[in-house]
Amino acid sequence: MRLCYRCLLWLHPPMFRREFSNEMLWIYDQAARTEGAMSLFFDGVGSLTRQWVLRSRWWKIALALSLAVLQIVLGGFSAVIFGHRHLEAPARDPSVVNMAEFAHYGAIAHQPLTVGIVMYLAVFFTGGLTIMVIGLAFWMRHCARRVR
Amino acid sequence: MTEDYGPLLPLSPAALHILLSLAGEDRHGYGIMQEVARQSDGQYKLGPGTLYDNLQKLMTQGLVDSSPKPPAHDDPRRRYYRLSGFGRGVLSAEIERLEGVVREARIHLRAPRRAT
Repeated sequence: MRLCYRCLLWLHPPMFRREFSNEMLWIYDQAARTEGAMSLFFDGVGSLTRQWVLRSRWWKIALALSLAVLQIVLGGFSAVIFGHRHLEAPARDPSVVNMAEFAHYGAIAHQPLTVGIVMYLAVFFTGGLTIMVIGLAFWMRHCARRVR
Repeated sequence: MTEDYGPLLPLSPAALHILLSLAGEDRHGYGIMQEVARQSDGQYKLGPGTLYDNLQKLMTQGLVDSSPKPPAHDDPRRRYYRLSGFGRGVLSAEIERLEGVVREARIHLRAPRRAT
């Protein structure tokens, strides 16, 4: 259990960890028997959540990155779903498929990965990420001004 | 010059108990935990996570300082904390606010409410 608690302390933001983790571990050693190791562990989980969510600003960057990734994934999924639907419509008899029929549908999901598609995704990713980071920067400045 | 403590009030229960425990003397983290449990007759217990999370906030706000040096015979991992002058002012303002709340509560609870 002590090892789990040490891991939990290690997961805290670096600044907090450097300043308080030794003391917290010392208290754990002193209080584990009287307070109960589990209750100290759950208290540590609460502190970990508060530190990352309320006190640290890293979560905003992580949120921006995950939203950008989500954006790409959703874009990819919609290309797969809608591209597939377009492709299915003309194929009434699969044995007599004329590939020329598909030419004008141009579903991204069924095309080989070309430089154009990679560039399209890169622009999509970079644009989305830039907008989010700029938005978050403005929001953080606004919050900092309000706290002051 | 009087300082404005308004933006820092009301204090959270954890912050209030930590400041109260430091009002008498400088203490290390475990000492604060024990003092808080003693002051509240064991009804309010702080874990180390909650304690240091709040201590960090209180130190950033300038209410609590880290004591310069622990006693020589003490464990080097222990660090002592003390209430700053500003922290004492905030604590006094909070106690005054709470006294007002208690006064109001006594007035309203003195006579039992009659059903209309």
